[in-house]
Amino acid sequence: MSKQRVTRRQFLNYTLTGVGGFMAAGMLMPMVRFAVDPVLKHNAAGDYVVTKQKIDEITNEPVRVDFSFEQKDAWYTSEVTNTAWVYKDENGEIVALSPVCKHLGCTVDWNTDATHPEHFFCPCHNGLYTKDGVNVPGTPPAAPLDVYPYKDVDGYLALGKAEPRKGA
Amino acid sequence: MKWVSKDMDMYLGAKEYVDTVVLPLLPISFGDDLKQTASMTEFISLLTIPLERQFKGRLMMLPGYTYLKSDSDDSRLQVIKHWETEFKKSGFKHMIYITSDSGWRTIEDKCEGTVIWLPSLPLENMDEKYRNSILEDQIGQLIHLFVKKWQNND
Repeated sequence: MSKQRVTRRQFLNYTLTGVGGFMAAGMLMPMVRFAVDPVLKHNAAGDYVVTKQKIDEITNEPVRVDFSFEQKDAWYTSEVTNTAWVYKDENGEIVALSPVCKHLGCTVDWNTDATHPEHFFCPCHNGLYTKDGVNVPGTPPAAPLDVYPYKDVDGYLALGKAEPRKGA
Repeated sequence: MKWVSKDMDMYLGAKEYVDTVVLPLLPISFGDDLKQTASMTEFISLLTIPLERQFKGRLMMLPGYTYLKSDSDDSRLQVIKHWETEFKKSGFKHMIYITSDSGWRTIEDKCEGTVIWLPSLPLENMDEKYRNSILEDQIGQLIHLFVKKWQNND
């Protein structure tokens, strides 16, 4: 036994400070968390999905690249497959276009309309886009195809969230 | 577009562009062909998803008409006729039914719309990769059929 004996007053002081501090921390912690919440938030828009397309295999000819990721819709998680048309432009820059027609949301195809070769063609209402995704005036679409931002992940193409561009 | 309220906003704003309605015909039976009808329904339901995505702006994909396999041809035909009057009233030019149930082949001539019959595949025993490639194949053919139909009637 140690010589210093804890007095009743000391004992009560320690316990009260301990319990009080614990309670204060319990109240303050969530408040601090709420205050800094925007910093901690996971940025969903910044997520890139790695595709199976190797970057050095991309040519001048647009190819269809499918990629799937998990999408959370409230409590329901589902596997979503997206598509991109990927090619290299004349400067060797990679271009990844969204296949969703800007008219009413059909899926456009590359080079399927015999009368307009080398164009993206929408079979629904004959919408046309040039190779760089810009809509051809006089056809239904009013804006160019969306563009995916891309990244190079170990030689494989990774695509972000498609972003809209200004109309032609 | 699908039969959801968000897509209906789009439909109301672009009615003149949507001239095709697709009604999947899904059989149900609790008898001997219980499993068979289930796999037919599963197969067709799976096919409708990518088909709708491909032609979102021109076709309206309805949730599907479920009927009892034991229903007589006449009663089924009557229902389809009823649907057709309603479709025409709403301004749809192309009416397409997709089904795996061969029972429709005998009455397809009596329908005004087109019945597309696809034999259902035993998807349950396939691994996912193989399944997807088979489905893609079928969808490719369907897409071709739709485009052809639209071109001929323009």
